[in-house]
Amino acid sequence: MCLAIPHRILRLFDDKRALASAGPVETEIRVDLVPGLEIGDVVLVHAGFAIERLLEEHGQEIEALWEEVRRMAGTGHE
Amino acid sequence: MNDTRQRIALLSKALDLLTDRPIKVMEVCGTHTVSIFRQGLRSLLPPSLKLVSGPGCPVCVTDQGEIDAAVSLAGINGVTVATYGDMLRVPGSGSSLMNERARGRDVRIVTSADQALEIARNEKTRLIVFVAVGFETTAPSTASVILDAHRDRISNFTVLDLHKAVPPALEALASDADIDLDALLLPGHVSVILGLSPYGFLPERYGIACAVAGFEAEEIMLGLVEVARQIKEGRPRVASLYGQAVRAEGNPFARSLVDRVFEPGDSSWRGLGEIPLSGYALREEYSSMDALKRLDISIRRTPPPDGCSCGEVLRGVMTPRECPLFGNLCNPSHPVGPCMVSGEGSCAAHFRFSAGGDDPWKR
Amino acid sequence: METLSIGHGAGGRLTEELVSLILGRFPGNPVADREDCAVLPGGIAVTIDGYTVTPLAFEGGDIGSLCICGSANDLSVRGAKPLYIALGVIVEEGFPFEDLARFMTSAGEVCRALGIELVTGDTKVVPRGQADGLFLTTCAIGKTGAHPGLGTRNISPGDVILLTSPPGMHGATIAASRYGLKVNGLSSDCAALWPMLETLLPLEGLKCMRDCTRGGLGTVLCEWAESAKVGIEIDETLIPWDEASISVCDLLGLDPLHMAGEGCAAVVVSPEEAEAALELAKNHPLGKRASIIGSVTEEHPGYVGIHTASGGTRLVDKPVGEELPRIC
Ligand code: SF4
Repeated sequence: MCLAIPHRILRLFDDKRALASAGPVETEIRVDLVPGLEIGDVVLVHAGFAIERLLEEHGQEIEALWEEVRRMAGTGHE
Repeated sequence: MNDTRQRIALLSKALDLLTDRPIKVMEVCGTHTVSIFRQGLRSLLPPSLKLVSGPGCPVCVTDQGEIDAAVSLAGINGVTVATYGDMLRVPGSGSSLMNERARGRDVRIVTSADQALEIARNEKTRLIVFVAVGFETTAPSTASVILDAHRDRISNFTVLDLHKAVPPALEALASDADIDLDALLLPGHVSVILGLSPYGFLPERYGIACAVAGFEAEEIMLGLVEVARQIKEGRPRVASLYGQAVRAEGNPFARSLVDRVFEPGDSSWRGLGEIPLSGYALREEYSSMDALKRLDISIRRTPPPDGCSCGEVLRGVMTPRECPLFGNLCNPSHPVGPCMVSGEGSCAAHFRFSAGGDDPWKR
Repeated sequence: METLSIGHGAGGRLTEELVSLILGRFPGNPVADREDCAVLPGGIAVTIDGYTVTPLAFEGGDIGSLCICGSANDLSVRGAKPLYIALGVIVEEGFPFEDLARFMTSAGEVCRALGIELVTGDTKVVPRGQADGLFLTTCAIGKTGAHPGLGTRNISPGDVILLTSPPGMHGATIAASRYGLKVNGLSSDCAALWPMLETLLPLEGLKCMRDCTRGGLGTVLCEWAESAKVGIEIDETLIPWDEASISVCDLLGLDPLHMAGEGCAAVVVSPEEAEAALELAKNHPLGKRASIIGSVTEEHPGYVGIHTASGGTRLVDKPVGEELPRIC
């Protein structure tokens, strides 16, 4: 329902607007929905607005699940 | 074979091992629907896993009467309607915004609410109606520009507020015995705003397995593996598999902006009907920006087109192909229902990737 | 009353409906044979195209270069050398002379490079508001040579599909400019294909060529599969994607398989000569990223399948109408 693409913040114009890049695309985005953003932060952008800062880690649950998948499917039985 | 293909083959195998009985999973979010199709993931699923598309496209669920209101607004002299591209094809009872644009009405595509406000700032002689659709992910951006317009006294900016809330719709689906869902793939970007707690009732009260998932092929497959595992173990819960973006508490600041501008209101969903408190109504303080009040237009309930099974498709009790109109009377060039209109609507997706026949690559 | 919409011009299913409405009114029951140009007795090849584009000038070209390249390419893909051009200019009152001169200069440059002669033309000035700035129509005439019989009917199972350059670059460039995206390294691929395609003509195993314009690579392949009653399977990971174009598509929710190119051709060639064709294409600057992307199959006649980067397979279809940006 909601297309959102990661962007890196290149410049902060004021507390509402920033220049951000998604690969080779540079666009002006709104940053006022996520307080405290800094240059270099990677944010998810939906409809021209940053909606959250992205973390680098995938989180524990994903790691654990992957481990189980490898154990299960890698060997061919549970 | 590349890395991704290897990892996905592994996930597909795990899914095979985990589904030892027929299970029905609904992907709630339309972006998931499109991603599943574009990546050809259906060809990798075990036959016992039935994947149905939920109401997750704000375009699909926009009620006919709501489109009619947008069309009426576009017909008023001096009015410019600004909205997202996917809204243009949605049919009302008589016309669509695309049709109105072809007839010379001023209908413009924006990719952000901010651009709509920008039009209002630059073209003072026009009255701008921003047709605001979307769920929790999109509502904060609308709230933010409404606050801007209010502060800067932009008097020619108005909003046709059609925002909808996801959890009440999930409740309606979960409690519908016909649908009989085993699991839900929860929408990643709605959850970015909402966090995880609004979904707690799904496993607790309805025993539905849940996973919040991202949108890459791998993330979607992982989500399916997770719910299959929950089902097999008989331990439904809300798993969070989109940890990069989704915090347990969501984005409280964005929600606070929404709260300032909107209050819960009843809303009518195409296919699902009226769902109490599933909409975001503009608060009294901002009613001068309410396009309906400003231009004295009302949203009228109109019956869905004859034979249209969008309700059944959205609720997951019918597949698109089972609708009597699918393919011949209702197709992407002549959409009858909303599920055919949006590229990610489940009917359009089925039509687009299966050319109206049976998908020859489905397992 | 039902009226035409922009989608009727986008090259997808709506366009098919519009074309059959027109053809049905002519004597002799002309059928759209879905080739890019007509080849008349004596090997004379003719094509006509109208050009409207917003914006009129874009990174990598303008409406002037576009109108010559586009029509010349329609001849080139049938193995006909573009020789003559007729040009119709419809311009809106108030249009700056300077701009018109600039666009005509770029049109002239393409003609000079290809040795095309402008032989006749027409100009109309219409009142303000009746045309969006400038409309150009070009009719190009050429002559087939070494390979007069190129066409869809030659396609048969086992054949190989070659793509000469990244698909969708023109469409992505136009979309980016329309929706206000600044994209480093993004440029339309607008170019005349004749010099490269000419080198392929001596290959006996050359079956059919098509430039992937309106409707994109997806549409070309679907039309081939439908008219030749064959299946086509391509591999997403073998397509020479242009990174900048893909980013634009991701951002706006557009399907790169449906985006137009203006200097990108799909080529069908026998398996024996596939490598030779690839080699020849790669030897030309326009084809340096050429790649074999798939093959023609007996299974699934009428359908095009793509093996995706994730290892799944799905069908490719034509776009319905104008590709619109999505938020959802
Ligand atoms: S085929 Fe058309 S009418 Fe039937 S459910 Fe789908 S969109 Fe609705």
